[in-house]
Amino acid sequence: MSVALRFAGVGKLYDTPTGTVRALEGITVDVKQGEFLSVLGPSGCGKSTLLALATGLDLPSEGRVEVAGRRVDRPVTDVGIVFQTDVLLDWRTVLGNVMLQVEMRELDAARYGRRARDLLRAVGLAGFEDKRPYELSGGMRQRASICRALVHDPPLLLMDEPFGALDAITREQMVMELHRVWNETRKSVMFVTHDIGEAIFLADRVLVMTPRPGRIAEIVDVDLPRPRKVEMRESHAFLALVAHVRNLFVQAGILQGDRHTA
Amino acid sequence: MSEGGTGSPTPARRRSGGRRWLDRASPILVVLGVLGLWEFGVRAGGVPAYLLPPPSSIVQRIFADWRMLAGHTWVTTGEILAGYVLAVVVSIPLAALLARFRPLENALYPLLVASQTVPKVAIAPLLVVWFGFGVLPKVLIVFLICFFPIVVDALIGFRSVPREVLWLSRSMGASQWKTFRKISIPAALPNIFAGLKVASTLAVVGAVVGEFVAADRGLGYQLIVANGVMDVQLSFALLIVLSVLGVVLHALLDLLERAALPWHVSQRVGAGVHGPAEGTA
Ligand SMILES: Nc1ncnc2c1ncn2[C@@H]1O[C@H](COP(=O)(O)OP(=O)(O)O)[C@@H](O)[C@H]1O
Ligand SMILES: [Mg+2]
Repeated sequence: MSVALRFAGVGKLYDTPTGTVRALEGITVDVKQGEFLSVLGPSGCGKSTLLALATGLDLPSEGRVEVAGRRVDRPVTDVGIVFQTDVLLDWRTVLGNVMLQVEMRELDAARYGRRARDLLRAVGLAGFEDKRPYELSGGMRQRASICRALVHDPPLLLMDEPFGALDAITREQMVMELHRVWNETRKSVMFVTHDIGEAIFLADRVLVMTPRPGRIAEIVDVDLPRPRKVEMRESHAFLALVAHVRNLFVQAGILQGDRHTA
Repeated sequence: MSEGGTGSPTPARRRSGGRRWLDRASPILVVLGVLGLWEFGVRAGGVPAYLLPPPSSIVQRIFADWRMLAGHTWVTTGEILAGYVLAVVVSIPLAALLARFRPLENALYPLLVASQTVPKVAIAPLLVVWFGFGVLPKVLIVFLICFFPIVVDALIGFRSVPREVLWLSRSMGASQWKTFRKISIPAALPNIFAGLKVASTLAVVGAVVGEFVAADRGLGYQLIVANGVMDVQLSFALLIVLSVLGVVLHALLDLLERAALPWHVSQRVGAGVHGPAEGTA
């Protein structure tokens, strides 16, 4: 199976007025073609930095980043990116925002226009194509921004805490929708989150990170059947994985241990 | 919609409709009230017309002298528009350059601020020495006075694009020019319009200052003449024409903004004027 995204011994240092800060150390992981990799860790552990390196918007200080087998040394264009804030353009309609991707890439407007409408319909935004972003709820706006990241059918999807600004219920809906979309398209995904349940529910593997400096605590295989169902969150296997990941954070001193931990 | 809302839709709508009408009319009502008080006060108090003429006589004077006033208005309007357009044409591209090249901003911004702290009234005589008594020094003063607010607001506008948007644009393989055209310019427009509006009122001031210093025509020149012969009625007539000029310019920009940025204006009204007012009801 080919590799969509590869980190090989990647480290990242930032120069700040108060000295050099090490944001990442010794990151080695592959996102295989069609794999969903969650990157999980507390805030400040370098998740966004890792994502920036994958997009080529920032370059590693050590090691090597590859997308589709090619070394990343400039901004990668063969991706779809979703940020924590939807960053929709206020002056464009919902459809116009999705079509920004098509216009910037100078793709065929008619063909990708149909695709944009199909995507919007698939995430429940049919009838909202001509609305402006400020007329939409937070969840709807983020759905539109996910459509924008998918409309050009990129092989790799990079998401940085895309549901972090949403309320808990909307968030759970969005997780289910993302899973459904992913299950139908099987894109390679790197999904950054600080939510343990979300990370496990969506992923083939969870890369658990600890901070200062950001490094890999463990890469956890998620051996749950697909498609994932809401009820699965109560299953024994799921809860065991949650407990395992929590324990990793306890051992790293990030979470308080309780009597269940040895 | 919840069921509670369906009980009394009509009275609620009528009330908010009435309120909207009141919102629109309130500035006119205030102006009429002030004029009424003025008229009444001057007449009842027996204030001599050479000190403070009643509004009715000023209006009569405007109609009586309308030909002369129109001529001067024409001259001043020309100076205002020429200087203003010049400021727009120079300021917005300059702001775009400053936003694009941070070192350029660091180098030029202090100079811009310093240039702004020099009172325009103090420069006006110099400009007359350099460029004579014609239209040019007036146009330059209007330009100088309008230039700064437009640059500053446009710069804020160009800088307002979130970096995630710029990252997205790069991930889409867009050229810098395309990013500028499709993202930076529309993003900056609300701030640019704010600057344009501030500058529009300053432009009138600039033209009058220029005409005060040296001129043989224009509303500012005529104001000096009227003051010289203590024709207070004419002075007031000129002041009214000048303020109408400023208001009209401002209103034109407001219309243009509404046409160009419906998304921005409707958002602002929704969150601004009407939102809190209705919240307190
Ligand atoms: N541009 C930068 N300059 C300096 N330090 C940075 C920069 N970006 C990130 N960092 C530092 O790197 C660490 C990781 O940040 P980040 O990747 O944003 O973490 P996360 O996304 O997991 O919250 C933090 O300590 C942060 O202060
Ligand atoms: Mg982050």
